[in-house]
Amino acid sequence: MKTLDACKILDAHRGDAIVVCTMGAMNALDKLPLNPLTMACVPLMGGAASIGLGLALARPERKVFVFDGDASLLMELGGLVTISHARPKNLFHFVFNNSIQFAGLGNLETPGARSADLVAMAKACGYEAAQRIDALDDLESRMKGILAGPGPSFVEVVVEYDAPTLGTENPAVEMTDERFTRMGDEIRRIRHHLGCEAAVTA
Amino acid sequence: MSALAKENPMKQFSKHSVSAQAMVDAFKRCGIDYVTTVPDMVQIALHQLLNSGVSGLNVVHCTTEDQAIEVAGGLYAGGKNVAVIVQNQGLYAGINSLRALGLDSKVPLLFVIGQFGREFSNLGGNPRDSKRRVVFMLEPLLETLGVPYWRLEGPDDMGNVEAAWKSSRERSGPAALIVGHFVGW
Repeated sequence: MKTLDACKILDAHRGDAIVVCTMGAMNALDKLPLNPLTMACVPLMGGAASIGLGLALARPERKVFVFDGDASLLMELGGLVTISHARPKNLFHFVFNNSIQFAGLGNLETPGARSADLVAMAKACGYEAAQRIDALDDLESRMKGILAGPGPSFVEVVVEYDAPTLGTENPAVEMTDERFTRMGDEIRRIRHHLGCEAAVTA
Repeated sequence: MSALAKENPMKQFSKHSVSAQAMVDAFKRCGIDYVTTVPDMVQIALHQLLNSGVSGLNVVHCTTEDQAIEVAGGLYAGGKNVAVIVQNQGLYAGINSLRALGLDSKVPLLFVIGQFGREFSNLGGNPRDSKRRVVFMLEPLLETLGVPYWRLEGPDDMGNVEAAWKSSRERSGPAALIVGHFVGW
């Protein structure tokens, strides 16, 4: 399953959900039409699920999707406990697992890629539901059921990865300034879209 | 040893404490409705009050300080007013999240940081003169990060809660309140 194809399915089912994306899923969502309720967690590997938790608690009337990565999840694995303890019924945590870090750049194997069971971890931590999906048609057919169930819900989406592009012919890639400002800009865009005031009290 | 210390050695330190209820009242005056936290030893009284469910503030318990900062960022994105309660060691552990959300993303964040490990002989003095690195490095580190801070060294400093909060909002960035001694019950 390609990450972009999986993102298209999730995007088609989001309705008015807020989406917090990171890593490969962020790059894929950037290829789809802009949604003002989407924000990227970048550059902050590991932070997407916790930002999603905060949004889910702040806006219980609205679904929140997190598009996480496998290595990103592992970086703050204790977040599974934090989320299950907070019990946000509106949080849907999709982890795009390609078992690779810097996919499409350097393709370094993720620790635990051949041994860690992310679904079992989510279940053990107390998520209401946890499942693994490795086929596109399966993802499409299960989405209504996933979204009908209570959160926090965990879905490991097994995806492919592209060949590495960094090497002797392409030895470096520069980060743009926008990569360091977009998260704040998108947080403020979400606040504006939700009608939040930036009032100073006290 | 003073007469007060002879009566009860711990009472001589009470002037360096603020009460948990006074802190909650100050948070409410700021409009804070959520706290994210990894517990801090010197703020146990505050944690107990928050966990009792009578404070009127929502508490999100996190397993790392990174998460406490990130959950606060998400709550802010959703329109909530948040304080992040950690100890000095926790701030050190969460610096990358502070960098990403507080500094690069310009999210207003109020950090309430307990001075874990501060020797009692330093109370009433300058925490920078503490013998313990975990204490004396906090303020210089915040200055390096460009995070303004206010000390909470006793009841006379209670106005600093509002000052730090207002700074975080007006500057759209992090500000810190440094709790110098055990919060009182």
